[in-house]
Amino acid sequence: MSILFSGRVTSGASAHKISAARRFVMFWVNHVRQALFSLGELWRTPSASILTIGVLGVSLTLPATLHLLVKNVQQVSDSFTQAAEISLFIKADASATQISSLQKILQADKAVARVSHISKQQALEEFGQVSGFGAALNYLTDNPLPDVLLVLPKNTAADSARQLLERLSKERIVEFGKLDIDWLTRLDAIVSLLRQAVLVIAVLLLGAVLLIIGNTIRLSIMNKKDEIEVMKLVGATDAFIQRPFLYSGIWYGVFGGLLAFLIVEAMLWWLQGAIVSVTSLYGSEFRLMALSVSEFFSLMLLAVVLGLSGSYLSVRRHISAIEPTGP
Amino acid sequence: MLEFDQVSKSYPGGFVALDRVSFKLEKGEMAFLTGHSGAGKSTLLKLISLIERPSVGRVLINDVDLSRIRRNHIPYVRRDVGIIFQNHRLLMNHTVFDNVALPLVIEGFSGKDMVKRVHAALDKVGLLDKVRCLPHTLSGGEQQRVGIARAVVNKPPLLLADEPTGNLDPDLSKDIMRVFEAFNQVGVSVLVATHDLGLVARMKYRTLTLKQGKMINDGLLQYQEDPL
Repeated sequence: MSILFSGRVTSGASAHKISAARRFVMFWVNHVRQALFSLGELWRTPSASILTIGVLGVSLTLPATLHLLVKNVQQVSDSFTQAAEISLFIKADASATQISSLQKILQADKAVARVSHISKQQALEEFGQVSGFGAALNYLTDNPLPDVLLVLPKNTAADSARQLLERLSKERIVEFGKLDIDWLTRLDAIVSLLRQAVLVIAVLLLGAVLLIIGNTIRLSIMNKKDEIEVMKLVGATDAFIQRPFLYSGIWYGVFGGLLAFLIVEAMLWWLQGAIVSVTSLYGSEFRLMALSVSEFFSLMLLAVVLGLSGSYLSVRRHISAIEPTGP
Repeated sequence: MLEFDQVSKSYPGGFVALDRVSFKLEKGEMAFLTGHSGAGKSTLLKLISLIERPSVGRVLINDVDLSRIRRNHIPYVRRDVGIIFQNHRLLMNHTVFDNVALPLVIEGFSGKDMVKRVHAALDKVGLLDKVRCLPHTLSGGEQQRVGIARAVVNKPPLLLADEPTGNLDPDLSKDIMRVFEAFNQVGVSVLVATHDLGLVARMKYRTLTLKQGKMINDGLLQYQEDPL
């Protein structure tokens, strides 16, 4: 494109009337070439590159780890929702047939997964065994314990379990129902608090990453100030000058993301042994969950987007500010 | 080709670098621009390469008023004007080939076409055997010639040179001037800023002389009657 001289051949493509398809291919070939060139630039300044990549990697590791923590805590809390059992204490004057018919009704209820009946007698025996008051209980003239129906709701979420409790408590022969969900809601609240905290910390760290990359790119722009002036003097557009710096940002993102992934994996591997020994003591089947494939790609995408936008912010401000001062 | 129409340039603080300068450089014409340092030579060249804008007046290239060129179009104007710098302004950590190829890369040339043009430009300045060298292994005169090759590689219709012989001995200076003459002979307009009056007088070309921002001479410079 020549503004001053119409008809002057200025571009390599128009000089040869290259077909659109070939020009399209060349466009991508050029981009790949420039991307590789920027990779080479990183390689040529290893200390600065390693520092930036290290900072980026560590900064991304923390949010990724916290995310895994939340994910695993959630897994734990999910496994505990089984405990959301409703105990229905039956009135003392209810007859055995009334109890068994209620049990049948509940078993037919769509919201109920399982119903089991603990009779007064069973309860007393169990109490005697567990509490160690066996001998003392023998002095009782009659059994003070009520019949209990244990109801396991189909939907074990706290809200729906509570609704079911309210409905079942209205049954005629039920004295009162009890659902121990307070600790469940507490756990839920803690998990969501954790998630919020992760979000805040992640936003802060990602902001820091943006600034760090922006600063690194700014320094490399300043190092190449003379070169940029020369390029401007021989007619390079800002877009042309920017491109290698933007590619550097992308590469920082790629390597920083990979580093973060490796750190997280190493940490999981390190913790796995310790966690197994703890969980085996509790007889639980807890397995530490690692990053899934989609989470890995989200991490990489996030890192690349951060790298690119960090360098874009820096490039946009500093490259147009450099003006050649004289021939 | 190049026209200055009552151009003045004053800098903040009141310093007047150019004062109502008018001249015309025709297509295919070669001229010298002389004057003491501080006379306004560099300012004049800066106005042509759009590093500075005039305070008053118009600068036209090929009848296009440069004041109408928007900031984002400045690079395209610079591609039409080959500029040679006093201090070469080469990229020191790139080879001679890369330096000369830079304007072509910017314009999207690639492959054989680019190599052909770079070799042709280096051949014209007699440096074809130094293609793979780094600039700091070359002598001052050779570096200057690399700068010239870079300025002409995309065949601009207008060539500007700012003190191209500033740091060179007389023989080398003459060689460099011969190179400019050769380009002029194939139809390129050439404007060379220099304070080497002896050289200017020997070359017998039109000479524009600036003194404190004013154009005091336009024509052949007679060495005997130094107007400065």
